[in-house]
Amino acid sequence: MDFNLSEEQEALQEMARGFLSERWPAERVRELLDARPVLIDDDVWKEIVEMGWLGVAASEEAGGIGGDVMTAAVLCQEAGRGVLPGPFQSSLVAAIAIERSGDKDLCSGLLPGLIEGKRRVSVAIEEPGGLYGPDAVRTEARAAGEDWLLTGNKILVPEGNEAEHLLVAARTPDGLGLVRVAADAEGATTTRMDRMDGQSCAALVFEDAKAEAGALLGGADRGEALLREVYDIWTALVAADLLGSAEASLELTRSYATERVQFGRPIGSFQAVSHRLADTLVDVEIGRSLLYGACLALDEGRDNAAPLVSAAKAWLSETAVAAAEAALQIHGGVGFTWEYDVHLHLRRSRCNAALLGDADHHRDRVAAYMEQSWVPLVKA
Amino acid sequence: MDLRFSAEDEAYRQRLRDWLKENLGAATGAGGSANAAMKRAEEGSGGKSDPLAGARAWPRKLQEAGYVGLAWPKKYGGQEASFTQQVICADEMARVRTPPLINTIGLSIIGPTLVQHGTEEQKQRFLPRILRADDLWCQGFSEPEAGSDLASLRCRAELDGDEFVVNGQKVWTSLAFLSDWMFLLVRTDPDAPKREGISYLLLDMKTPGITVRPLRNAAGGQHFSEVFLDGVRIPRENLVGELNGGWSIARSSLDHERSGLSGVVALEETLGRLWRMAGKVQRGDAEALGDQATSRALAQHWIEIEGLRHLGYRTLSDQIAGKPPGAGASVGKLFASELRQEMTRTALRVEGPLGPVAKRSPHVVDRGRWHAAYFDALAHSIGGGTSEIMRNVIAEKVLGLPHAKDD
Repeated sequence: MDFNLSEEQEALQEMARGFLSERWPAERVRELLDARPVLIDDDVWKEIVEMGWLGVAASEEAGGIGGDVMTAAVLCQEAGRGVLPGPFQSSLVAAIAIERSGDKDLCSGLLPGLIEGKRRVSVAIEEPGGLYGPDAVRTEARAAGEDWLLTGNKILVPEGNEAEHLLVAARTPDGLGLVRVAADAEGATTTRMDRMDGQSCAALVFEDAKAEAGALLGGADRGEALLREVYDIWTALVAADLLGSAEASLELTRSYATERVQFGRPIGSFQAVSHRLADTLVDVEIGRSLLYGACLALDEGRDNAAPLVSAAKAWLSETAVAAAEAALQIHGGVGFTWEYDVHLHLRRSRCNAALLGDADHHRDRVAAYMEQSWVPLVKA
Repeated sequence: MDLRFSAEDEAYRQRLRDWLKENLGAATGAGGSANAAMKRAEEGSGGKSDPLAGARAWPRKLQEAGYVGLAWPKKYGGQEASFTQQVICADEMARVRTPPLINTIGLSIIGPTLVQHGTEEQKQRFLPRILRADDLWCQGFSEPEAGSDLASLRCRAELDGDEFVVNGQKVWTSLAFLSDWMFLLVRTDPDAPKREGISYLLLDMKTPGITVRPLRNAAGGQHFSEVFLDGVRIPRENLVGELNGGWSIARSSLDHERSGLSGVVALEETLGRLWRMAGKVQRGDAEALGDQATSRALAQHWIEIEGLRHLGYRTLSDQIAGKPPGAGASVGKLFASELRQEMTRTALRVEGPLGPVAKRSPHVVDRGRWHAAYFDALAHSIGGGTSEIMRNVIAEKVLGLPHAKDD
């Protein structure tokens, strides 16, 4: 029994935190917000690639460092805390999807290039229509001879404008799956969508866009399971990003409330302030616990991994936004200025709270799990 | 990261399960429920020599089998069990809903305090009797003028030769009318700063000068009392720790909280009952569970319980690794008591228009269990440190925010 980060994970966390605070100051995000999109600068990207972050969850054969989802989540948490934009998370998720597909050609070709930061791949799941997740996917992939033809719409595809390949969630005759399409395929149109935090994302339209034979990751047999697995892992990583945001908001506010004096006392000595921060701390610790539980369940392939992922995402979606709102309120007037970092975390957590399913969507997933598989302690 | 228990711990769990299977039926079947016995004793009915004999039987059985005093030294009847075994034990007992223990205050508060701070004589004299439920204990901390601001307590003790003479009043004293002993805080130096003039004493409840007056609580029961102390004499050997050193001992006894994993099982059981009830209660032409507001509320409780469970795993891991419990204990206490309330509010909402129907009414839903659970849950954010005090502790000790007001 050891439900804490390993020494290696703690060391990675400390290294990442130090690197980002030095090489990626919040000031840089503020500048880029005025010159959208907000993307990692080339020199910083190069260093991130050299540190092996994109291969953190990939095997050593593929050029990765052989970590697991928990280790990847540690980096995503630090990215959230340090407001590091794309294409970090989307590249990490694409690498995980490709490696888990077991496709030998991709694993020896595209994957090492992706991990070395030379190739850009993103994952497209969400669609217009106001619903979330794999079950809401309407995009269709039909077989045309050896090839696939893809028709449908995708939204909020992270760094979809910069990607060379897209892994697109679609319905095939054999169920759901991820189909790999070249971004410049005939019949594929990419348009820019902006996120409130300035990060780059795209809307995609496919009209009989052509994908080559073997483009369905994992094949007909494993395609749907793979898509669901990738969705769960990605959702956990977004939850990790939210945890990092929430921590950053809490820390900013904690230090401000300690220093700011009004009525002759630090404002943190007023219970209206300190109790709100105490409640935030409780919510952050519960969120951290849920995230660890979700990642461990994913890494051990346990039955309750999906509801635990949803638990972490639902909880942290609300916690991170509430922490940022508390930060803005407790900072008072300066919290509402462009120069303070509070709004960077508010923007980021607002975006991530809705990405891959908001709190209600994930509560519904938990409710469905309870209905189908949960065994209450009290029998009827 | 690893949530698995060792083979040795799993074997311990299996032995405990087998033991419970064999012995639990007898404990619950013999009319020995602590609650029923306490009620009989309260009403003064029975007229037997020991109205609590039935209630003492179960803790004694546990003691004989080595399933109480897990953390205590063997020398005083304890088990010196590992943290993991303590958690497994609490978890398994909660899972099969073992009866409440009548000596729980002794086992969870004064026992651990004496293990840590008691004299050798005190340990030998009291600890084995606590384990066997020979002595029942109550806590004399709160006073009418000292609730959350406990350190302002006034109950006075003056040394007269080898005895303290105690005058004052205690309140909210749970089970005072059944108890053999009370551990209490008294003011021994009225001139010192308030936290530095308090001592920790052990009082035999048969001592002359004690008046116990039961108080009826908001739920209608008689669980706690006022206790008046008038010239009560306590031998000096019943002082715990140093004279005027009682405050830090009391603080440490409030910290004797474990990882909180057993509380999770109780909440999980409550959610199961809530789920079952929502599947039966009518909402139009369907059952309440079918509406989205209800299913989402129950899903949210599932999420919260998992959050608390995994927080408990983190706390336990820290304890096993010999690290200080960190934020876990106060965070867990605050979150658990709020969650417990929220779940009973959800239950009353799910019951809908029949929610307010009284327990004795033939129209009552789910035998009226949720009214009692609701009142009980409301008491939990007051007793043992109010939620507001918990937030103060988190703000100051965990977040390092400046102290609210010092005097």
